[in-house]
Amino acid sequence: MALSPILFRGVFLLLARFELVVVFRQLAGFALLAALAAPAAVRAGAQATAPPANAATPAKTDVTDEVGRRVSIPVPVRRIVSLAPNLTETIYALGAQDRLVGVTDYCDYPPEAQQKARVGGAVNPNLEQIVALKPDLVLAQAFTLNRRETVDALERLGVAVYSANAHSVDGILDSTRHLAEVIGAVEQSTVLLKNLRTRLGELKRHLAGRPPKRVLFVVWSDPLVTVGRQTFIADALRLAGAESVVETEQDWPRLSLEEVVRLQPDFLVFASSHSKTVRTTVEDLSQRPGWRGLDAVRNRRIAVISDAINRPAPRLVEALEDLARQLHPDAFEEKSKNRKAKIENRKNAAASGESPIFSFLFSLFAFHRVAP
Amino acid sequence: MQPLTPKRLAWICGSLAAVLLIVVIVSLKVGAVPISVIDLVSSLGRVAIGRSAQLPSEYSLIVFEIRLPRILLGILVGAALSVAGAGFQALLRNPLADPYVLGVSSGAALGAIISLIVASRASFAMPLAAFAGALATIAGVYFLGRRGGQLDSHILLLAGIITASFLSALIMFLMTTLSGGELRGIAFWLMGDLTSTKTPVGLGWLFTVLLLAIGAIYTTAADLNLLLSGEQEAMHLGVDVPRVKLVVYVSASLLTGLAVSVSGAIGYVGLLVPHVMRLLFGSDHRLLIPTTALGGAITIVVADTLARTIVSPTELPVGAMTAMAGAPVFIYLLRRRLQ
Repeated sequence: MALSPILFRGVFLLLARFELVVVFRQLAGFALLAALAAPAAVRAGAQATAPPANAATPAKTDVTDEVGRRVSIPVPVRRIVSLAPNLTETIYALGAQDRLVGVTDYCDYPPEAQQKARVGGAVNPNLEQIVALKPDLVLAQAFTLNRRETVDALERLGVAVYSANAHSVDGILDSTRHLAEVIGAVEQSTVLLKNLRTRLGELKRHLAGRPPKRVLFVVWSDPLVTVGRQTFIADALRLAGAESVVETEQDWPRLSLEEVVRLQPDFLVFASSHSKTVRTTVEDLSQRPGWRGLDAVRNRRIAVISDAINRPAPRLVEALEDLARQLHPDAFEEKSKNRKAKIENRKNAAASGESPIFSFLFSLFAFHRVAP
Repeated sequence: MQPLTPKRLAWICGSLAAVLLIVVIVSLKVGAVPISVIDLVSSLGRVAIGRSAQLPSEYSLIVFEIRLPRILLGILVGAALSVAGAGFQALLRNPLADPYVLGVSSGAALGAIISLIVASRASFAMPLAAFAGALATIAGVYFLGRRGGQLDSHILLLAGIITASFLSALIMFLMTTLSGGELRGIAFWLMGDLTSTKTPVGLGWLFTVLLLAIGAIYTTAADLNLLLSGEQEAMHLGVDVPRVKLVVYVSASLLTGLAVSVSGAIGYVGLLVPHVMRLLFGSDHRLLIPTTALGGAITIVVADTLARTIVSPTELPVGAMTAMAGAPVFIYLLRRRLQ
């Protein structure tokens, strides 16, 4: 009988495990709201000419963030704390890393980001550590990774928090643009976005007229979890010439193996920068009953791409190109070797650190990992 | 056992209050951001003489806006859960009774979750719904635990355990089917979380309810002592047993609902603290109720301070700390007493 509290606790730990896979649970309503409201508002905010910085009364500009919150942000933004690995990546991509003064325990890309001051996990960051870093602006991923409670608490402490929110590849590009406007890195973002849009356009040209491959994107193999229709990953799959065999409203549906056997996807897609880990996983799975009955496993039609696909940040485009090449090799045959080598280099650069997909999933359970 | 005199009561409670004060001051000092004793004392001193405006803003923000609200919440939750545990243990004459074991915490959590789904805008609805959930659960468990018109404490405990798992399953069901972004926060809250600086209603109100409920249980303390020898016996000695039961059940449910609505389900406190206090000071409820309240407050503040410092800046859930730190202390005290 004394066991009961433990059992009860066990249920919550189970819940927690369920939470593990709910990394980027997206709210369709917010997406719509953000898509409609944010661009206009940010533009309005950015246009509001800021008076020259003045020691006595620091200039502020009012901005509506991507979940519709009004945020008063100091101009210029000198000190930034990022509460999500994807936002840390975006800041680096915008070349604003010198202004980044705090990151989470899970901001592992680029590797230099790990040298920044830590503020704890993404789900339960340490509020006093954030306040002590005296940030002009805190960036949160709303509310798929960071919690609304954290944003509320920081707001009450008088810290400006900008919540980013993206549900598609286009959404990620827009979000990057908004972020650039808010922190004052518009020039860099113009170059970055032009590059990304060109690459996406090129990809589209290559894949034109090819029927999409039916894939199963494996977020987690035990239990089997895949992506729902409204996630940015599902959108990225579409752009890479693939379609998920599972089309659900739920963002991170748990799937029975039986269903996968019935659907017989053309390809299984795994994401990790550590291809060795994935290879072991795939070897393991191909021995198991159920999995070994899958055509994709028998014929070794398994695509392994960078874990960048799990993070709504500019680097996602790279993973997406890689996936398209693996799924539709014939579409890229005329590609120059030069370009391929470049991709290889980039992939190698990305393949550092220990299995970022898992550590990122674990970021929901900050307390599972002891900070160094 | 020493007889309980007002002097002894005051002395013991005073010492525990002093321990609590020391614990609070230490907890205000330590954290991810180091604050020196001098800074802390000077800022506390300035606040005490009403010159808080002159504080360096960063320290005052961390000490008074982040650490202090959390400590106050810890005191509230610790006292509430511990006294609720002591109340249930006395009524059921079973040392294993506790808001967790009886399913009352799950009932409160389910009530709170339903209120969040149905009326997420009405913030005051959550503690009320948690209270209603707790009360409905204890009523159900009490009804299930009766055999031949008499309360059978073994059946009652079994009923509580089954109810707890049933309610947890309902919570799981709601969490899985309703995949709103808000529910992600709930999962975290369910694991026991003191980090939220926002309470559904003001801290002042919560403390008022806490003191009223503990006070209500305290008025029955003498009767609870007599109840220890059995309901029939207590009745013969002139105790109004139904009234005592009603007061304690309602108050203990209120305390559980209160604690769960602000911090989620933090386990082991309701079981552990009354036991430790009984081992230290004896089982007279007139002494046990106030010492349990103070002891619970000390326990949670210590546990939460450890939770936010040992792997700083990463934070542990306070529930894990109460379980990890509480169990060994409990076993030590138990064995020492057996010798």
